[in-house]
Amino acid sequence: MSRPGFVLEVDERTPSLLVNEGDGFRLERFPLGTRVVYPPDVLPGLRDVNGAIRRALFNPVGSDPLPTLLFPGMRLTIVFDDISIPLPQMQTPDIRQRIIEQVLELAAEAGVDDVELVAANALHRRMTPTELKRAVGERVYRAFFPDHLRNHDAEDPDRLVHLGHTNQGEDVEINRRAAESDLIVYVNVTLTAMSGGPKSVSVGLASYRSLRHHHNVHTLRHSRSFNDPPNSAMHHSYDRMADVLGEHVKIFTIETTLNNEAFPSHVGFMNKREWEWSLLDQASYLSFKRANDMTPPKLRREVWQRSYAPYGVTGVHAGDPAVVHPLTLANVHRQQLTEVDGPSDIGIWGLPFICPYNVNSIMNPILVMSLGLGYFFNLYRGQPIVRRGGVAIFYHPMPNAFHPVHHPSYIDFFDEVLAATTDPAAIEAKYEQQFATDPWYIHLYRNSYAYHGVHPFYMWYWGAHALEHVGDVIFVGANRKAAARMGFRSASTLADALEMASDTVGSSPRLTYLHAPPLTLADVR
Amino acid sequence: MSLMKEVRTLTRGRDWRGRTRTPRSATAWEQPAPRKEFATGWARTPVANAVRLGLQRGLLKSVAWSQTRPVVEGLDYLDGLRGPAVFVANHSSHLDAPLVLGSVPRRFARRLAVGAAADYFFDVRWRALVTTLVFNAFPIERFGSKRLRSLAPVLLDRGWSLLLFPESSRSQDGWMTSFRLGAAHLCCTRRVPAVPIALRGTFGAMPRGRNWPVPGRRKIVIRYGRPLWPEAGEDARHFNERLTRAVARLWAEEDIGWYQALREDAKAVVVRPAGPPAAEWRRLWEATRPLRDERPRAVWPGSRR
Repeated sequence: MSRPGFVLEVDERTPSLLVNEGDGFRLERFPLGTRVVYPPDVLPGLRDVNGAIRRALFNPVGSDPLPTLLFPGMRLTIVFDDISIPLPQMQTPDIRQRIIEQVLELAAEAGVDDVELVAANALHRRMTPTELKRAVGERVYRAFFPDHLRNHDAEDPDRLVHLGHTNQGEDVEINRRAAESDLIVYVNVTLTAMSGGPKSVSVGLASYRSLRHHHNVHTLRHSRSFNDPPNSAMHHSYDRMADVLGEHVKIFTIETTLNNEAFPSHVGFMNKREWEWSLLDQASYLSFKRANDMTPPKLRREVWQRSYAPYGVTGVHAGDPAVVHPLTLANVHRQQLTEVDGPSDIGIWGLPFICPYNVNSIMNPILVMSLGLGYFFNLYRGQPIVRRGGVAIFYHPMPNAFHPVHHPSYIDFFDEVLAATTDPAAIEAKYEQQFATDPWYIHLYRNSYAYHGVHPFYMWYWGAHALEHVGDVIFVGANRKAAARMGFRSASTLADALEMASDTVGSSPRLTYLHAPPLTLADVR
Repeated sequence: MSLMKEVRTLTRGRDWRGRTRTPRSATAWEQPAPRKEFATGWARTPVANAVRLGLQRGLLKSVAWSQTRPVVEGLDYLDGLRGPAVFVANHSSHLDAPLVLGSVPRRFARRLAVGAAADYFFDVRWRALVTTLVFNAFPIERFGSKRLRSLAPVLLDRGWSLLLFPESSRSQDGWMTSFRLGAAHLCCTRRVPAVPIALRGTFGAMPRGRNWPVPGRRKIVIRYGRPLWPEAGEDARHFNERLTRAVARLWAEEDIGWYQALREDAKAVVVRPAGPPAAEWRRLWEATRPLRDERPRAVWPGSRR
């Protein structure tokens, strides 16, 4: 049985602890008394994943078995999560491939001819053919690409359909093919508690018109946190939209959960508690760190992006989305949840090299902000690990670099919008429409591999709750200019950062470090 | 960061094998393994008996008798006593056991085991070894925390007499505290007599905190009482009361004399000597008051007594 998560209190016995910092990592000696939140040990993966998928399809919850839902002449749409999940990408065969192949086997047996596969990329960049092939597997790719295996296009008016409004007036507009299908089979991978459930179809296949109702400053400021669906205004909106969807389409969802085995064995020390490192782990750390530090940034990025995770699948559940999702969440919590006793004055996070929007791409400063103040800050249930008015300290080099193909609107957002203001509400009011409807960005989104023009805004809103909650944000090791542009301060070392933070929280603050890797969801009481 | 700096950060707090101690808060709570009971059977073999008798009479008694002036009274009560008995004494000093062992008739001394606090005398191995060899001690659990099975009934069944201090710990202020039921219970269940013993002056001679008697060869009185047999159907609580009263009477004999103590006992006036209900210093003051010395006064002032 895996050991549960726990909160370490740094004492004189505690060795230096591992901290992520972008395309690198370091050992940091934390002050005595610092609380360090560790997740439960890596859960064992299912031994027979294919068997588990088959059992889930034949014994779903809240739904009839999948074979009984399939019939000749039907329109079947298989929708799957895009490249933004899991992170890092998993070693092949991808879990989506395994599930889609079994679903297609059943569809073939049932004589279904009209099958379409759609990547639920919403306003994310389109997946390249190579990426699609990696996600669905060679066999599926050959059989369906390019005509029947496509990315969702949120800007093609012919391929969108408006299904109605929620009881709060929110537009529900999704992919026409999916909406007009007899059955949507949604293939999901849930890595954090925010994913899956009602989010899958209502976000993954939606348009800007629909997304703006929950991807906005007000909703995100009232999602505390968006990893805790019952307390997330964003998820409440998803739920309302899912109700509307339920009236028009039948959805059979297959949700899977992964364990925390995010790194291959040669960097196995990443997933071990530091005082349990063997000599081999230490040698591996030293050699890997030296090699990593000496590698040119571009090559280093390549190496990290190509490090595929040997994830184990901890659960496969299929059936009605509303019934399946609680089972999925329980599995996520089993792997990530650790109880923490109250918030502290300073929260510390080490940010990794990857976030959902820089897979095979570059982590630009806006994505760093979104990863830190959005994703990692919101890895809590109850209350944040840092008190209101406290200080958030993040580790990331934050290079001032952008991917010109993937993130064109980010460049303009960084240079023009953030130069004027960093206030999320002001940005939303003044600039969002302009970027969201810019024809050039829409063209790049539809025909190139660019994120939608409005996407950097969403990234900024993602951190709106944190920006409102904390009194100061300090990035350790960050590019000073990039940090300053976003209104943050940069420190060379943790000691400097603590010194800077003392203006806000005094000279003897309580510190909490949310240990990552691996992923930890703090249940702060 | 240079390689050397990196190595230093990595190895800080680790030993040459690269190991580090587990941080306290990361240590898993484990049920402490039950401590192995210290075996004392070896101390009752003929060889150990011979060695012990030599130590008790040759070393322990000579030291005790050279550093204090013990007066032993009431041994004649034991004349007719045969077989195992439970010697029960008040307890206020580490001198108590050596004094009883040094004064008890030899036929008892040869087969006498002493109950000693498991948490004090048996907490480390060397102390347990010495205590067991010199005193023929066996562990007695005072607080019931480890649920040891007591050896006392087994020893009685095997014909060993026991020396027990039912107050369970040395007195803090020299006065008697209440007796626990263990000794009385043993007597009642095993049908063996209890021999009450009052030890006076030991607190003044070597109180808690000292490991050697105070200088000046203080007078100490070891007064044996008439053996008490549990009556048919008598329960341990009642027998314990009788035992306490017997020790209290022996204690009072030193102050008011044998006959007066008997009279007062008959009138049920004798109570456990718990000391004056006064400030702590006054209780200590009274407890350490030297016993009345009945040696003749010097005829010529200034000559040695």
